[in-house]
Amino acid sequence: MIHYLTDPFQYIFIQRAVIAAVIIGVLCAALGTFVVLRRMAVVGHALTHSALPGLVIAYLLGGSLFAGALIATVVTALGIGFLARDESVYEDTLVGMVPNIMFAFGILLISTSRSFRDLFSMLFGNILGVTDGDLHLIMLIAAVSLLALFLFYKELKLFTVDPNYAKTIGLPVKAMHYGILLFLSFTVVVGIQAVGTVLTNALLVIPVAAARLLTDRLGRMMALSCVFAVFSAIGGIYLSYYFGSASGASIVMCASMIFAAAWGYKFFKKSMR
Amino acid sequence: MKFPYCHHLHSSPDQKAPALEIQGLGVSYSSEDKFALKDFDISVPAGSSLALVGPNGAGKSTLFKAVCGLLPVRSGSIRVFGHPLGACHHRVVYLPQRSEIDWNFPISVLDLVVMGRYVYLGWFAKPQKNDIEIARHSLNEMNVLDLAHRQISKLSGGQQQRVLIARALAQNADLLLLDEPLNAVDVTTRQTVGDVLHKIKAQGKTVIVATHYYDQEEGRYDKAIFLKDGKKVEDANLHENTGHKDCDCP
Repeated sequence: MIHYLTDPFQYIFIQRAVIAAVIIGVLCAALGTFVVLRRMAVVGHALTHSALPGLVIAYLLGGSLFAGALIATVVTALGIGFLARDESVYEDTLVGMVPNIMFAFGILLISTSRSFRDLFSMLFGNILGVTDGDLHLIMLIAAVSLLALFLFYKELKLFTVDPNYAKTIGLPVKAMHYGILLFLSFTVVVGIQAVGTVLTNALLVIPVAAARLLTDRLGRMMALSCVFAVFSAIGGIYLSYYFGSASGASIVMCASMIFAAAWGYKFFKKSMR
Repeated sequence: MKFPYCHHLHSSPDQKAPALEIQGLGVSYSSEDKFALKDFDISVPAGSSLALVGPNGAGKSTLFKAVCGLLPVRSGSIRVFGHPLGACHHRVVYLPQRSEIDWNFPISVLDLVVMGRYVYLGWFAKPQKNDIEIARHSLNEMNVLDLAHRQISKLSGGQQQRVLIARALAQNADLLLLDEPLNAVDVTTRQTVGDVLHKIKAQGKTVIVATHYYDQEEGRYDKAIFLKDGKKVEDANLHENTGHKDCDCP
């Protein structure tokens, strides 16, 4: 029985995939906690879709896909922040509009190149294809992002619960907002490696939403989100290995099942009272 | 080593200067010409209490937000304890209206009140035992210490207000700007808040309260200023018994 658990690990690419998926899952869950609590889930959705043209341009030019996606998401994140300064166009309108334009632009570029070969992995990720170089980059981004979360945890907490009070005591709230967008861009680009542009937002949001159902303390919520993300990542890779399913979609489906279980548990607990 | 949030150094209050001095203040919410507060002058001596009275939209919250740096000053000047805005962050505390807080955020009451100490901690420093003790003491002052470990979403309106005032007390500021602290709260909270305001004033601190329930609170303040449509309508020095008691409030 135990060999079902160990068999996949005889392959180096599976070992790499599991390490990458676990790191990406933890990073998405940790940052996703603040994304969800700051009601920025739609921004995450916007950024994931905005990465596509960057990926395609990089692919067509033979450059780094990672760099292409990063530039596209950072430009979108900062662009939305900048355009939203004109109060006549609401930020949620921009968030609904800009990613669709970027996504359409990406599809347009692919269609003109007549090469759809790698479109599937761009849209839905390919964690099993992670190289050593990718893994090092994922580790670096995760380390920097998690360190920033650790160092500014106290301020992020205050900025989220009461931004006005944060401003009155001198916190640079605008810079913090842009900082979150910047780290969100990094996380999205890393997430795309695992589950693609379409599903990355699910990794940012679903484990956090499941954790929120089970606890009302921030620290516990973050820890639980990370645990759920790790289980989803590993579970998804097993599913992919044994059933030949798409790895990204399998990871997201595992996260969804955890959310359903958490919701069921909460509902059951409530009805027992 | 400390890394303060603001690039300004924390200046000590100028003891001889008024707690708040405003001249010709104009504030608007956007770049449009419509001013939420216009040509506003005021001088509040340190250690006094003032009621800002007026209906919703009169400019009370706008004034507080301008003093705290939440809204840009379009014209005029604001000085706090003799210093320009920003130099005395730690000495001014703003109690927002309850609706401005995300009460569903997953933290405890004690965590929220400890945030009143962050201005002294700055970047990277974690709250110490002393900060926790001060926060607990503030909760005790507001008679809500027993709620310290409750999640903030599980508080009633009156409890929320007391917890927010406890956070303001934890900051140990010299100028307190309280926006409608008695709005829609129960009798017990009203009494507790009243007692604490009295105590704060006795400690030599300056309190400015925005309210539109003035008739019930008149005895608590040294002075009242009546606002309407962003302009000062009238001053009433209550200790000189001007006889002005009416408020053009809803």
